Amino acid sequence: MPNSNVNIISVIESKLKDKVQIQPGQLGTAAIATTNGLHREVIQTLLDADEKTAITSITGLDLGANLGLLYHIRTSNAFVTIRAEVPRESPKIQTITDIMPGAVFHELEVADLFGIVFEGHPSPGHFVLSDNWPEGVYPLRKDVNPYDVKLNPSKDVITQPSDGKQVKIVLGPQHPALLEPEKFVVTVDGETVTRVDPRVGYVHRGIEKATESRTFLQDVYLVERICGICNSIHACSFVETVEKILKIEVPQRAKYLRVIALELNRLHSHLLTLGHAGLEIGYETLFQYFWRDREPIMDLIELTSGNRVYSSLMTVGGVRRDIKEEDIPKIKATLTDLRKKLPFYRQVYEDEPSLKMRMKNVGVLKREDAIKLSVVGPVARGSGYDIDVRKDEPYEAYGEIPFKEIVYTQGDTWARMNVRMDEVEESINIIEYAIDNLPPGPFRVKAPRVVPAGEAVNRVEAPRGELFYYVKSNGTAMPERVKVRTPTYANIPAFLKTAIGESIADVPSNFVSLDPCFSCTDR
Amino acid sequence: MIDFWLIFRILVFPGFTFVLLLTLFCDWMERKIEARIQNRVGPMVAGPFGILQPLADFIKLLTKEDIQPRDAKKFIFKFAPLVAFSVMVFAMCFLPVDGASVLSVSGFNGDLIVILAFVTIANFLLFLSGWASSNPYGAIGSARVLTQFLGYDIPLFLVGLTPAFIAGSLSIAAIASAQTIPYIVLAPWAFVLFIISMQAELEKDPFDIPHAESEVVGGLETEYTGGKLAFLHLTRDVQIVFGAALVVELFLGGSSGPVFFGLPAFWYSLWFVLKLLAVVVITEYITCVFARLRLDQVLSANWKILLPSAVLSLILTVAMVTWVYPLVV
Repeated sequence: MPNSNVNIISVIESKLKDKVQIQPGQLGTAAIATTNGLHREVIQTLLDADEKTAITSITGLDLGANLGLLYHIRTSNAFVTIRAEVPRESPKIQTITDIMPGAVFHELEVADLFGIVFEGHPSPGHFVLSDNWPEGVYPLRKDVNPYDVKLNPSKDVITQPSDGKQVKIVLGPQHPALLEPEKFVVTVDGETVTRVDPRVGYVHRGIEKATESRTFLQDVYLVERICGICNSIHACSFVETVEKILKIEVPQRAKYLRVIALELNRLHSHLLTLGHAGLEIGYETLFQYFWRDREPIMDLIELTSGNRVYSSLMTVGGVRRDIKEEDIPKIKATLTDLRKKLPFYRQVYEDEPSLKMRMKNVGVLKREDAIKLSVVGPVARGSGYDIDVRKDEPYEAYGEIPFKEIVYTQGDTWARMNVRMDEVEESINIIEYAIDNLPPGPFRVKAPRVVPAGEAVNRVEAPRGELFYYVKSNGTAMPERVKVRTPTYANIPAFLKTAIGESIADVPSNFVSLDPCFSCTDR
Repeated sequence: MIDFWLIFRILVFPGFTFVLLLTLFCDWMERKIEARIQNRVGPMVAGPFGILQPLADFIKLLTKEDIQPRDAKKFIFKFAPLVAFSVMVFAMCFLPVDGASVLSVSGFNGDLIVILAFVTIANFLLFLSGWASSNPYGAIGSARVLTQFLGYDIPLFLVGLTPAFIAGSLSIAAIASAQTIPYIVLAPWAFVLFIISMQAELEKDPFDIPHAESEVVGGLETEYTGGKLAFLHLTRDVQIVFGAALVVELFLGGSSGPVFFGLPAFWYSLWFVLKLLAVVVITEYITCVFARLRLDQVLSANWKILLPSAVLSLILTVAMVTWVYPLVV
């Protein structure tokens, strides 16, 4: 097994020194500028050097005469960005999906939004944009005004119900198992799934484009609305990225207050999923219990931020509200209450035979597949693939707070749900520690409205996994480009892989174990 | 000459009206129990404690638009829910509620077989109704009804014969009146098996696979709207009441109980309803504490566990009847 402590930069330097240009400290550990074709070689080098090499995202950029591509690659101890450029007239680049299967959807998204052709991609076509989107209009290019786009008349797409013995079942866009509109065409032979064709983008809102015509301050509240569940985490990641460009240091107290807000988000998100999984396997009682216990957490979010769902707590330079001294006993009491209830839920997951029959050995994702498909968050940690941005690249106050990284090795639905169960307990510990050790001082610093030209990347651990932000500024009050890669977008390949060969009845329980959030996916 | 008493018995008590009211009441009670177990309040707006909620739901569905899919097999689609409902209500008429069944005072020898056959017919009609709606979810839901029903029908029959064997009669009234000691005490193993197969027959958790909305949307009900949907729901509710009533007759001594004053028929009916509600509580509790199993898991459990247990239960009963019960009774 390749050594995970290897210094990635020196490996690339030694192998490809004369061919690429290495810029240490930029966009993660280092940015590596390549010319066309060499990006594959760099990625191959990274793959050979470190077994945990996986792709986080691909960012498209409009650089004027050229279109830029940023491949964001994570390894066990580094985060590398590979730059590539293609001419605007004939934007063609070789695909990396053959050496990195996790990049399939990332390439599709860039192809849709920037019109870059990935040569050799296994399944080209619209993925994010609608099927009646006009040819040759690529919305994230700077010369496209979204108000001028005229859609083609839409055609009825009728999915043929059957093809010989194979029956196609359409899950979505409207379906009771999916609370949000996405489509999965599941081909079944009898009750066994043989193929899954995904289609996202039904509620694509173009938030990435919208950020470019709003100020940085407005964008904080816009990106917060990408996801209702992990809203603080989106806002926090965005302001951290901007703070990196501004080079301002957030006060210590603000860091702790942010951690409290982020962990409250994680708590209610995990409780929601743990209950929702019960609903999908017909265990309504479990669902009702979890959602009952989630409600006090929502009250805590309201208590600390003033709002029950969209907390609007984060701002560039700190947070907008301090925690009141008299609220602290109430927060602690609520958390203690929840901690007391956890052993019961753990027992249900451990002992309840019908629940175990539906969750054990369902949707098994092996560790090597998890790495190959570049999955993130509890899905990865349930398969023994230990990535947690809070540990790997501590942000805010996570470096100072002791907590355990939860890893299960079974890789099935049951393991993924248990990762969340254990993380609920860890989150309670983290919030209690943060409240006990809340440093004195100011909770925000004044930040300038105009951001100097520059670019930065940032990763945080959202409840569903690694959330990635890239922000490029051109020296005005509005960003040049904001790229968001949400965890669900990275986790869908895991579902496509594990659903095949299993019963149709396992599809919902397998699917919900990813904790899919399509509001996030369709930014 | 028209026998008004017979008409009263068929239409009002213990026939149609009584069955309908009992069904609606059981539906309300189930919802209330489920809600309380799940830490909710359940229906509470319509009527005192929300007791009129099932009736309100039923009337609401009747007023909704009735849509028929273009490709549906019109005749079956229209009539299968109605016929299924009628069959279930007819089957209820064979159960002696106030000490005697609706249609004849003493029932006839073999009516147990007849009503078990009615259960099968009703299930088959439900399968047809989903199949005729020409909807993939309806077709899958229906196929699941049929597959599951193949697994549990035989055990249900075998276990249902246990009380008949002890009583030495195939008449429900005779079985009920033979229970000086209720058979739940004499043959508890058969009672447990019967409750389990009943749970499967009524398609309740952990066997509610045909209704798994996260997998097959509405199952066989997917294309149904308005009045037809109301009757499908009602059929299901009558089935639940019927199942509970059958358990009462076969294992809990039917409507027998102490008579204090006035009409014996009143006391018999009261005991019957109380026992029936107790059975509903048991099945509802099972529904609440289990997750839904998968079709293959249910089938293998049916053939590998339930069927051999049913046969064993029958053998055990034979042995007990021959050597043990003569000493006790």
